[in-house]
Parts: sequence; C-alpha cells; structure tokens
Amino acid sequence: MTVASQVKQTVASLKGARATLEIMASIEKTPATRELLRSNADKLSLIIKRMEQRVGELEREEPQYSGL
Amino acid sequence: MPEWLTITVRAAGIFALVLFLTRLLGKRPVTRLTLFDFTSVIVIGFIAGALSLDLVPNLANGLISLGIWILFPALLYALSLKFKAVRDLYQGKETVIVNHCRVLDDKLLEAGLTPEDFLGLLRQKNVFNFADVEFAVLEPTGELSVLPKKEQQSLTPKNMGIKVAEESVPQTVILDGNIMDEALTAMGLNRNWLLTELDKAGVAVENIFIAQVDSTGQLYLDLFDDSLSTPQPTIREMTLATLKKCQADCELFALGTREPKAKTMYQETAASLNDIIGELEPLLGR
Repeated sequence: MTVASQVKQTVASLKGARATLEIMASIEKTPATRELLRSNADKLSLIIKRMEQRVGELEREEPQYSGL
Repeated sequence: MPEWLTITVRAAGIFALVLFLTRLLGKRPVTRLTLFDFTSVIVIGFIAGALSLDLVPNLANGLISLGIWILFPALLYALSLKFKAVRDLYQGKETVIVNHCRVLDDKLLEAGLTPEDFLGLLRQKNVFNFADVEFAVLEPTGELSVLPKKEQQSLTPKNMGIKVAEESVPQTVILDGNIMDEALTAMGLNRNWLLTELDKAGVAVENIFIAQVDSTGQLYLDLFDDSLSTPQPTIREMTLATLKKCQADCELFALGTREPKAKTMYQETAASLNDIIGELEPLLGR
C-alpha cells in the first residue's frame, strides 16, 4: 500500500466520522450537545480539506498510483 | 321509619358528605400530616362516626360541628399556602439538630426527641456514626434530613472532575410490537426512519417487545423471543475509535514524511483531532 492510499483511507474514515456526528446533531434535541456535535463536525471538515490537499500533492508526486 | 333504615340513610349521607368535604383539606399525603392535621382527621372521623350511628341527639348540631372541623383546617391550609406566619403556626418550623458536626442537645430536647430517637433517625438515613454528619434538620413531619460531611458524600462526576454530556430522556418508540407515533414525532423522527433502522438490525416490528431511541438517535431493541439477542448499537464507541485511529494515523504520517510542510500539517491535524476527541469523549465514550 502506498502512502497516498493510506492517507486516502484516513480521509475516508474521517468523512465517515463526520457523517455520524452530523446525523447525531440532527437528531439531538439538547442545544448544548447539538452545538458540540456541530462544531466538532465543522472542525473535522477543515481537517478533511487539508488532508485532501495533501492527497492531491501525493498524487502529483506519484502519478502512477493516482486514483487508488 | 324503622331504625335500621334511618341509620342506613344517615351513614350513606355522612359518607358522601365526608368524601366530598375532605377534598377541601388539600392533597398532602398522609405520611406528611402534622400532629394538628392528624388531630383534626381523628375529630372528623369521630364526629362522622357518631353522626352515622345516631349517637348525637340533634343532627343539625352534629353537622355544624363537622362542618367547622372540616372548614377551619381547610381555611387554615389555604391561608398557610399564602402567608408564611400562618404556615409556621400550622405546620411548625424545622429544627436544626446538628450544625457544624455538633449535636445541639437543647434543640433535641425541645423537639421532644431522646438521643436514642435521634440515633435511630440517623440510622434510617444510613448514617451509623453521628460524627459523619455535617448538618441535620428535623422536618415538621418528624423526618430527619441529613447532610453528610463532604468526604462522606457519594461520589459524583463533578467531584472527580469528569465532564459528562447532557442527555435528554430516551423515547419509547415501540411497545408490544406497536409503533408509538407520538414518541417518534417528539424526537423529530418518523416511521420511515424507524423501519430503516429495524431493517439494519434485521428484525420485524411484530417481534419487538420494547424499542427505545436515545437522544443521539441510537435504537435499543428488546425482542419477544428471549433466546435471540440483538446487537446493541455501538456507533458512538465506533466513531470515537475511528477518530482515535485517524489521530494515530496522522502522527504516523508526520513521522514518515520528509517534507517539512507536510510534517507540520500532519502534526497540526493530529493535535486538532486530539482536541476533538477530548471534547467528544464524554458524549461518545461510555
């Protein structure tokens, strides 16, 4: 497994976690808890964005593995 | 009119009257009656008994007396709800028995309690050593309320400095195989959602004895067939584990890469994931 595909896997896991948090936030009724879930999902979004940038760089470096 | 008929009519009449009038006395449970309440209840009972057995020569006199014994306590009760002075007179005040770990023996005597009574009351509150008590109050109803010393109080998350997530009540969405639509709407969910979740768990509505949804939308099931076990949702734990794994991955990438820019990016990411895990742990990890 190349580094690029490992990073991609991590990004995918992070996306899954973000989705779960968002589902919980949409069902949650307590405003404080809902806010906690929302803000952390947003933070995860930022992280995912940065990691995806890194995936792009890695793919440029090793074009033969891109798309994996 | 034969005597038995008179008695029957009277007893039935008094029964209805007392049933109706005692409603005026308020709704406090019998265990919380003060000595005064108790006295008036006995007097009312006695008059009602005497009236229905025809022991009182003049019915009107008896009824007046009964009326007064019901109306006055009711009036006093109504006034006591409004005025503190009346309340103190009517219900009595609480007496501080233990203050700053010292037993106030004169107060104890004033309240008419022997030391044995006092120790007995403490034992009913699971306190066997009087030195463990910081503060104790004898309530007007004769019950003792005890505040143990700080180190004897039960441990709470706050004492331990543990953050816990706020949580609202779980809703019961299926009972005896019937879907409770009202509870579902209270959660902002609908039948479609429920049926999808049940599909995931692989059970039909008819086979479910109880199903509850907690505040984050996890569905907990109990089936009629006790030999089958349904998987309980682990989504929270799994999400927390995923986040922890991603954080570890980022640290690994940071160690692996030689490009300085990427290294700092991975390190920052790992740090902020750590923050997120710290914030979500009280909610997700249980």
